[in-house]
Amino acid sequence: MKKISTIGLLVLLLVSGVVSLAHDDVFRIAALMPSATNDLAFSQSMYDALVAVQAELGEEAFEFTIQDSTYIVDDAAVALRDWAASGEYQLVIAHGSQYGPIVEELAAEFTDVSFAWGTRQDTFGMDNVYSYAAASDEGGYFNGVLAAHLTETGVVGLVGPIEVGDGKLYADGFANGVASVDEDIEVNIVFIGSFSDVPLATEAAETHIANGADILTGTAQMVVGPIAVAVANDVLWFGSDASQDELSEDIGVAFQIYKWEVLLLDMISKIQEGILGGEYYKLTLANEGLVMEYDKDFEASDELMAIADATIAGIVSGDIVPIPEMMEEEISDEEDGDE
Amino acid sequence: MAGRLNRLIDFAPVLIALILALLVASVLLLALNANPLEAYDFMLQGAAGSENALAETLVKATPILFVGIGITIAFRGGMINIGGEGQMIAGALAGVTVALVMGEMRVPPELAKEKGAFDLIIVACSLVGGFLMGALYGGLAGFLKAYFDVNEILSTIMLNQIAVQMMNFLLNGILLDPAEAGFNNIPKTARLVTAAQLPRFSINIDLPRQIGEIQHIELFARTRLHWGLLIAVFLAVIIYIFLWRTSLGYRIRAVGENQRASSYAGINVKRQMMFSMFLAGGFAGLAGVVQVLGLQYRLQTDGSPAGFTGAAGFNGIVAALFGGLNPIGAIPAAAFFGGLLVGAQKMQRELGVPASLITAVNGLIVVFVVSSEIFILQRSKRRVSVAENETPTLNPSPIKREGLASSDDGEEDG
Repeated sequence: MKKISTIGLLVLLLVSGVVSLAHDDVFRIAALMPSATNDLAFSQSMYDALVAVQAELGEEAFEFTIQDSTYIVDDAAVALRDWAASGEYQLVIAHGSQYGPIVEELAAEFTDVSFAWGTRQDTFGMDNVYSYAAASDEGGYFNGVLAAHLTETGVVGLVGPIEVGDGKLYADGFANGVASVDEDIEVNIVFIGSFSDVPLATEAAETHIANGADILTGTAQMVVGPIAVAVANDVLWFGSDASQDELSEDIGVAFQIYKWEVLLLDMISKIQEGILGGEYYKLTLANEGLVMEYDKDFEASDELMAIADATIAGIVSGDIVPIPEMMEEEISDEEDGDE
Repeated sequence: MAGRLNRLIDFAPVLIALILALLVASVLLLALNANPLEAYDFMLQGAAGSENALAETLVKATPILFVGIGITIAFRGGMINIGGEGQMIAGALAGVTVALVMGEMRVPPELAKEKGAFDLIIVACSLVGGFLMGALYGGLAGFLKAYFDVNEILSTIMLNQIAVQMMNFLLNGILLDPAEAGFNNIPKTARLVTAAQLPRFSINIDLPRQIGEIQHIELFARTRLHWGLLIAVFLAVIIYIFLWRTSLGYRIRAVGENQRASSYAGINVKRQMMFSMFLAGGFAGLAGVVQVLGLQYRLQTDGSPAGFTGAAGFNGIVAALFGGLNPIGAIPAAAFFGGLLVGAQKMQRELGVPASLITAVNGLIVVFVVSSEIFILQRSKRRVSVAENETPTLNPSPIKREGLASSDDGEEDG
């Protein structure tokens, strides 16, 4: 009986060892998102990035799990804590700036787990937190330049969520892009106060059209409403976060696409080297974390394409600064830091 | 003996309803290629499968219980309060303001993050502030109903929207965290000083391991379980005593049972209606402020009502009904719905099913379980009619006519 127990124990140890080895070979990420993974916007961009990372590393080396539509911050805390406590994931992603306080609390408690959160430039001074953001003002500026050249009525409309984060950056960049071409073009911006209120976003888009807008743009997951309004009224649409090509039919022009995989791949390699955090990432056109994609049905003149290419080149080289005030603020912060 | 049997028979439909709901939900899960047994196993694990899961269930149940107690008072007073969400927000706004202001006054900046700090005066004032603001907000609907006959269902729903917009306005304005001002002005308040936070608690147990050896276990040590739960349970007991053992509670219930008879008996019906809504709003306000003080340590929003409340203002209604419109009954009911919500998240994470399916599964369970009340209601009506044949009584309760009755017979002895 004792022999059987000993053999059983050895087999168990062997099996658990094999399982443990298998476990170590696979890099696992758990990601929390505020909206659905098919929202054509913020959450979908991260989901697409995780799929892209899996394609790059292979299913045998990379796995991920997600919880989407978690707009209630308190629910987010449950999921993030569960993942952190399980010890199964090398990286836990909180994809939404509203999750920051939870990450701050959990990172202090689970110091051997790496966390990433965005969009925000703040690692809370912790060695196991990565933070990330997107320079959405760059794509916003690009879209604004094109919109200014395409508008016939001289009125363009933007439907934004809450006036924060990359939604605000996009709006500011877009307005500056339009103004860089023609300051007389009217840019009507409405922040509806919600990321998810599709009927309200639809109303805002219809109001823009009623005020003479012949071009619409917007950010966040509620843009499905404004896109439908643009399609119904045959006005041009500029998007952000993810490709909205399928939904925008033949009225889409250009989309700013977040390629989070650029930073995820770097984070993974750093974590495998033992660096669990403490760094800030920013997607830009220069590091190809941001990509401008044209709608497949959009046909631009050579002249417009030349302007578009020049705009991207200018932003990448630094000759064009989409939001000069922000640049001044960053320089000021750096100088303060030097002191 | 007959009473006990009746209670057992009353409980059977709830169990049957639960099983039926799970069967129907299984069809949905199968349609998405998910194994229902596996799904429910994950749900159970998520709700009570570990120390942390159990703690999260109780954390989720806490605001639901607060709101449920308030809803019970309102319904017992003949008022239908759908304004839990707005009252929660109103209470949270007042409570967090008090905590922020008093924290700044009483705690030096260098001690703002000191671990283990606790200031009873700040916490008590904040809780009272939250209660009063929620009570005033709920009492407003009661006032409109009592003196202008404004339908309280409509007014409370409308007041919910006003509260949400007020929260968005204040969190983008004077309550905005100064650290957020600039390009990342996420609508949230500053973090409360540690002394203004409700402490978390754990349970110490000494278990005999071997002869002469004691194993010390600290339950819930690394969880988010906080004092809010204890306050809620304590208040549930207090409100039970208030409703069934005091003359004021009796007057509220009398008005809820029959306003004309109460008026004839000399009870100020309008005052009781207002008072029941005042208390209901106060408890919802407490739910809001406890969420801030015990859990989030700041008030923040994504612009939607449920973004802060987690829909506890509505879930509290279901918990109150499920608890038989009895504050004590609301305790297990809130725990049940807390478990349901937390467990469903685990199911989503493990199976990768869409979040909308989880909402549907939860909805099915709620619909079936609450529908089972109809059976219970019919049984209790039959019992009442038998009693009426023996002893003539006044008109049946307006609550019972609305189909919201409970089976808490034998409790009219207060």
